[in-house]
Amino acid sequence: MSFLSKLLFKSKAQDIVDDKSGSALIKEDELKRSVDEVLGRSLFVRLVDSGSCNACENELAALSNPYYDLERFGIKFVASPKHADVLMITGCVTRNMLNPLLKTYENIPSPKFVITVGDCPETGGPFKDSYSVCGPVSKYLTVAMHIKGCPPEPEAIILGFLKFMDMIKISHKVSFGS
Amino acid sequence: MDKILINKNIVELNDFLSLVNNLKETGKYLLGIVASDERKFDSKFNIKYFFGGNGIIDEYLVKVDEKFQSISKICPAAKMYEREIHDLFGLVPDGHPDLRALMLYPENWDFSVQPLKKDYDNLVPKVKEYGKYKFKEVSGEGIFEVLVGPVHAGIIEPGHFRFSLAGEPVLQLEIRHFWKHRGIEKVCEGKDFNEVMNLVIKISGDNNVNIAISYLQAVESILNIELTERAKYIRMIYAEIERIWNYVRDVAWIFMDIGFALPAQNLFSLQEELMRLNKSLTGQRFLFNSLTVGGVNFDIDSLKIKAIAETIERVEKVMKECEAFILNSSTVLDRLEFTGKINKKTAEELSLCGISARASGLPRDTRIEFPYLIYGKFDLKPVLFESGDVFARTALRIKEIYVSKKIIGDLLFNLPEGDIIVAYENKPEAYKYAVGNSETARGNAFFYVMADDKGKIFRLKYIDPSFRIWPSIQYGVLGNIIADFPLINKSLNLSYSGNDM
Repeated sequence: MSFLSKLLFKSKAQDIVDDKSGSALIKEDELKRSVDEVLGRSLFVRLVDSGSCNACENELAALSNPYYDLERFGIKFVASPKHADVLMITGCVTRNMLNPLLKTYENIPSPKFVITVGDCPETGGPFKDSYSVCGPVSKYLTVAMHIKGCPPEPEAIILGFLKFMDMIKISHKVSFGS
Repeated sequence: MDKILINKNIVELNDFLSLVNNLKETGKYLLGIVASDERKFDSKFNIKYFFGGNGIIDEYLVKVDEKFQSISKICPAAKMYEREIHDLFGLVPDGHPDLRALMLYPENWDFSVQPLKKDYDNLVPKVKEYGKYKFKEVSGEGIFEVLVGPVHAGIIEPGHFRFSLAGEPVLQLEIRHFWKHRGIEKVCEGKDFNEVMNLVIKISGDNNVNIAISYLQAVESILNIELTERAKYIRMIYAEIERIWNYVRDVAWIFMDIGFALPAQNLFSLQEELMRLNKSLTGQRFLFNSLTVGGVNFDIDSLKIKAIAETIERVEKVMKECEAFILNSSTVLDRLEFTGKINKKTAEELSLCGISARASGLPRDTRIEFPYLIYGKFDLKPVLFESGDVFARTALRIKEIYVSKKIIGDLLFNLPEGDIIVAYENKPEAYKYAVGNSETARGNAFFYVMADDKGKIFRLKYIDPSFRIWPSIQYGVLGNIIADFPLINKSLNLSYSGNDM
């Protein structure tokens, strides 16, 4: 089958980086090492869209395409909040989504962290003056990190994870003195 | 500029029902209902009904106080629009079968406050429970319910689905949406046309170019702006690139959902290549901010022409291989054929548009019905399928990628010289309004824009293709097994954010 022979198993990973300088993905080994070290080889993420324009979701979904393949670092988007370590939030927190968002947070076992993706959850974005928006997220939950951008590119999200790992490492050292 | 032909009428409340009946018989279909609070002129609310078909848009204006005649019984497509007007304006559609709250949830909103009335004071009621939402009930021996959402298992937007099942087949599906209701229409009021662009592109991010084209068509018709030929060509190129990457992603997800990862992952790679092409063209992977009032923000030079031509050539090659691969696999056909069938009659009654209409045999494509930009110069024929199932919608997307590729090829080859943006005077006639129309990857995007006396927006109404198409899933899933629902949903791939606004 020509389709198979031509396209299949062609490794895409080497052409991830367009410009060689300063790319987050050059540090990909570092990300994997961090995940291995700090979180016992797994970081499980639960996503809640609280009122985005769907661009952030597209970029998060793109993280699992063959170019980025986030799961090779041990980072996985999971179906249930009960399995998650991190609550990832996109969108401006609409009135109607506030309750489901908080319930999802409650159902994540401790220790848990909140990471926001995009400008909307941090500031409310262009919708902040609406009658139907009651964000930003920081009004309700303690946010460990904001990944900025509208929407942030997949590379920026990976860089965000890397920074998050650094943060955990530092707090780890402080609390356990290791 | 190609103006949309509008046939304007004012009708009395009493004879509207029989009129709608006549309209339907002549092949007209509902494009949208727009309410607006114009009490400051004649102490009445205006409700405008737009009907499309036969290349002309018919507009019917009804002036109402607090009640208006519901047309849902003879025109089921009107049901959601009337509920929406009931929510946001507090007007009561007389004889409507289902007046539960749509976007202002009784769980957190005081229904005596209606935000789109002009005398709304911008105060929001306290977040507390004001009432309960009643779901439909199906009863009988052995019938059980499966509740899904609003927070779903995957990386998708929120929406609540409630299945009533007897064994595996679905007896009834009830969808509750508007979790993401952001109140965009209200936020737009009082802002100027260029400022609103930033909100318009965030209605539904993955269709932003085509939605913006519709908005700009309305605005430029209010401001009497005549675009340069080059700007029209470039807008169309961006619009078709967006359509292609949307279709590639949609087809990829259909294969992901039937567990056929090989073509799916190859198509995801292809999508990534297209996103990177977008970035090289405009610096933005979603082509955000590529259009502006009076033209486009980014020109296309010879290098970019080469990059676009090469990428779409590759898209066609991969799609062709993919198509052959799919059509030769009996396991794929087994999942796609006869699944999620939406009958032609249902499609007609619900005034469907876009992929869903064409897959059910309705020749509805805004690019052909109401040609805009320079689509009129292309001899486009609607790509049609009759079966209305998942297979039809998948195959239709693949075929339309080839059409879009041809359009882009022609545009690149004939790209005229000239400016990409024209200067304009920002002084529209007071209270002038216009409509805009365009074909997104999901279907017809309809804008109604009215200026006020200061050149700002008095009323903006956007009707997303997803808003029209969502109810059709409730018919498409009937009799299918529940395990096929994700596939049916993906085959329509509707937007939640565009629907919820």
